[in-house]
Amino acid sequence: MVLLATRGSAVKRELSFRTDLPLYDEVTGDPSLCPPEFAARIFSLADWTFVSGEKSPDVVRLFRHERRVVALVWVHQTKSAIHRIMREHTRVTRQSHDLHLATEARLVLHYLQLVAICDLLILAIQSAGPTRVGSLATYAAALSQRFADAQHALAITTSARDLRASAAH
Amino acid sequence: MTLAKLVTVQAAYEDFLQRSLSKIPCDLARLIYLASTRDYNTGSYHHDGLASRFTPEVAAKALEIAHRQIFVQLSAYSLEELVEQLRIYFDSSRDGAAEILRTWQKLEPYRIAIPTEVNPAVARLFLSNVRLALAIWRSRQDQSLRDR
Repeated sequence: MVLLATRGSAVKRELSFRTDLPLYDEVTGDPSLCPPEFAARIFSLADWTFVSGEKSPDVVRLFRHERRVVALVWVHQTKSAIHRIMREHTRVTRQSHDLHLATEARLVLHYLQLVAICDLLILAIQSAGPTRVGSLATYAAALSQRFADAQHALAITTSARDLRASAAH
Repeated sequence: MTLAKLVTVQAAYEDFLQRSLSKIPCDLARLIYLASTRDYNTGSYHHDGLASRFTPEVAAKALEIAHRQIFVQLSAYSLEELVEQLRIYFDSSRDGAAEILRTWQKLEPYRIAIPTEVNPAVARLFLSNVRLALAIWRSRQDQSLRDR
């Protein structure tokens, strides 16, 4: 896991040189997840099929490079959004007096699973290319969306519970 | 934003769609046109006709929404669809396709067509796809020159 995380940081540093738009800024940047339909587009096999049909080695080379960079940008953005969601959740739960341990444990497991998938995706994109990891990326996109929704719902429930508790006292 | 203002922005948006955008032949040209209504320094949008029919503020909001919407639509296109968009754009332009292709590959003017508030990964996908679509056009052009 430590090895994967180190690799992820190295790729992030490398990407900041290679991309022409700044990477997702964890402090001031867009905190949202990329819409899942775009994940499907980034990892799409259809574009690869179209490009290979052009029979131009230069275009194929450019496609491989471009898609690899975009895919890595997507993974880093997803990972940063997950971290932000978890930080926000930790902040909310610290102030709460009525926590459900089982729900909290499930959310932490969900978070750890997503981080591991993102790190795995970084390695897979670099070694096999984005078009070969489409299913895993689509799964990660759906899972991170569910994670964001679950955290949002939990935050609302926690706030409502706390409000009810303070009103009762 | 109040409900009344939202309704006015929606009306301005529909008016703009009907009077201006529908007359532009493809989404790529629509995006370039919408980006050109944005001030380089302030990032605010302006369109004389729309501002006179509504208010400058409402017109700016409607243009901003239209810009973001077209951008998201284009970014979701497959490469094949984007190559076709480029063909329609080249055909509808008074300048020659070869000249536009050269300028676009060199200066990448489409970079300033990205709206301000967009998802970074989507923006990067758009830039990458346009770059690829241009490379495909260049490769086809080179091939046809070799075949002659």
